Amino acid sequence: MDTLEKLRILSGSARYDASCSSSGSSRNGGEGTLGNACSGGICHSWSDDGRCISLLKVLFSNDCRYDCAYCVNRSSNPVPRASFDVDELVGLVVKFYRRNYIEGLFLSSAVMKSPDDTMERMVNVVRKLRRDERFFGYVHLKVIPGCSPHLLRQAGLFADRLSVNIELPSEASLNILAPQKKREAILEPMAFLGSAIGESRRERRRDRRAERFSPAGQSTQMIIGASPESDYQILSLSQGLYRKMNLKRVYYSAYVPVNEDNRLPVLATPPLLREHRLYQADWLLRNYGFSADEILSEEHPQLDEKLDPKAAWALRHPEFFPVDVNCADYAMLLRIPGLGVTSARRIVSARRFAPVTPEGLKKIGVVMKRARYFITCSGKPVERLFDRPAMIRDRLLLAENLPSATPLKQRQLNLF
Amino acid sequence: MNAFRYDGSTEGMFSAIDHILRNEFDPAAVSLARQGLSLFDEGVFLPTDTARASTLLRRFSAAFPENAREVMYCVFSEKEGLETALLHYMHMVSLHGSGIGAYLTHPVVHDVHVLARKVAREAHRLKGLLRFSMLADGSYLARMEPDFNIIQPLSSFFTRRLRTQDWFICDVRRGLVSRWDGKRLEYGTLESFRTPELAEEERDVRRCWKTFFDTIAIPERKNDRLQKSFMPMKYWKYLVEKE
Ligand code: SF4
Repeated sequence: MDTLEKLRILSGSARYDASCSSSGSSRNGGEGTLGNACSGGICHSWSDDGRCISLLKVLFSNDCRYDCAYCVNRSSNPVPRASFDVDELVGLVVKFYRRNYIEGLFLSSAVMKSPDDTMERMVNVVRKLRRDERFFGYVHLKVIPGCSPHLLRQAGLFADRLSVNIELPSEASLNILAPQKKREAILEPMAFLGSAIGESRRERRRDRRAERFSPAGQSTQMIIGASPESDYQILSLSQGLYRKMNLKRVYYSAYVPVNEDNRLPVLATPPLLREHRLYQADWLLRNYGFSADEILSEEHPQLDEKLDPKAAWALRHPEFFPVDVNCADYAMLLRIPGLGVTSARRIVSARRFAPVTPEGLKKIGVVMKRARYFITCSGKPVERLFDRPAMIRDRLLLAENLPSATPLKQRQLNLF
Repeated sequence: MNAFRYDGSTEGMFSAIDHILRNEFDPAAVSLARQGLSLFDEGVFLPTDTARASTLLRRFSAAFPENAREVMYCVFSEKEGLETALLHYMHMVSLHGSGIGAYLTHPVVHDVHVLARKVAREAHRLKGLLRFSMLADGSYLARMEPDFNIIQPLSSFFTRRLRTQDWFICDVRRGLVSRWDGKRLEYGTLESFRTPELAEEERDVRRCWKTFFDTIAIPERKNDRLQKSFMPMKYWKYLVEKE
């Protein structure tokens, strides 16, 4: 089989993996090295589904021994199988990189002979890239659940980021849908990586020349909508992962039905809007100082599909508003709908020179159609509706011009 | 308001700014524009002094690197009539220090910032969207038609990234070329452009990339609008995957 055909098969089966970002690591080679990694990340293209392409995202092999219900590559599916040779894949990465098609490599794999056997080949790819090609671009390696710590250790020395996919938000669902994957086989490598990453960071604070271990941290992915967990359960799990396992990112991937299997729900379309809301809520956890319990609860376990989670939180908590943008502290500014990290920082800087006015807020980049109901500028309200959350909600919904929101919502109604 | 004119070149603008900053009592009340074709242009003409311009730039960049970056990105924008804003901005910065760059509610700071960001955004976008092709002699060529004149920041980016290969970047519409030979970066202009012979492997590599691009999208999630909003069609002309 030629490389082109392998590429077709092995990128086609890698496309359900959500993570693609190349951010969070900077590498600069010296004389005679190929490439560098930018900490901000660079997107090289956008695929027809509108997702950013920054890495060559492929499986090393799709020839799987396991039989996970939701996966195209499960052993019981009659799909064409292929596996790369180490040199072949290395060559492809270098050719693409030299033409500026990609930032680097995202390598995952089905479980071939055994977890260790597969993981070893993947590590060989990165080792060869780093040692023989002197490649300094970005590499993200997926850990094969159940592989041995010595392979994890090597992987961490060559890759920028490692990740172990959780896939399903609870052990019960894992047992039903992916019976050959054991919870420990996922959590143990994750804990190992968490501590190795932390250790290497501490090491490097003491000594700049200390070896870097997975410098862009570790991430994971969960499939949304293949199993019955609520948004509240999902977000609580993510929060736990950020706090206890030192994870950099949790990716959410709307479940795309690819197999007929009576353990799986029947969906007309993937729950994209739900995925979008989860990303927004996750953002609140990571960057805005919210906790899962503030966003959702046992009584309200699902995110509001119509409203972004920060606006929904603000409407439930009128006691915090209005906030005066000229005296509120940074943490409180962050909680105003329509304000992001950048605009909150800008407000703090700009108001040192002169009080910020509604005009000024616009200049700074605040989304006034959302913020206007929640703020005052030096005591002056922009909109006098603070005591009427129902009305604010209506106006917010009107102003929300999510282009695809309406058809999606309708399609989604019959899904759950 | 005192008005000044210069010859329209970048050096001319910076020498004029230098002159005004040094000699005018209140630069904030001065306007600066390129000399028009009309004989009745108002304002005193300030001649171009390359040495003076580069001294100003060197000093300003050393003292206020972030602000200097914004000024340069504004220059790359090639936007008509922004000289006065740049003059006032540089004046404010030299008076109050680099921190004034955060005073985004001030009209001058705001305008400079917004324009610089627009240009920086295109430069950043092209860092990803520029496509190099391997030529028969083993060197690489990338062509582009950006809105702004950003060959300089792009070229210095690629000297770090693709340092082990010979390459050219060509701004087709402006007729500008940069060339990296593994050691030095040079800029030049392009008089005529013959489409060069491609390397033999080039066709295969492009086919691989196109295949990857086509299979990586999930058909159930197809979304042209989203794709175009991130990757405007004006850039498609030189994208292998959109051929
Ligand atoms: S282990 Fe499961 S999810 Fe992974 S490739 Fe095999 S069948 Fe698919």
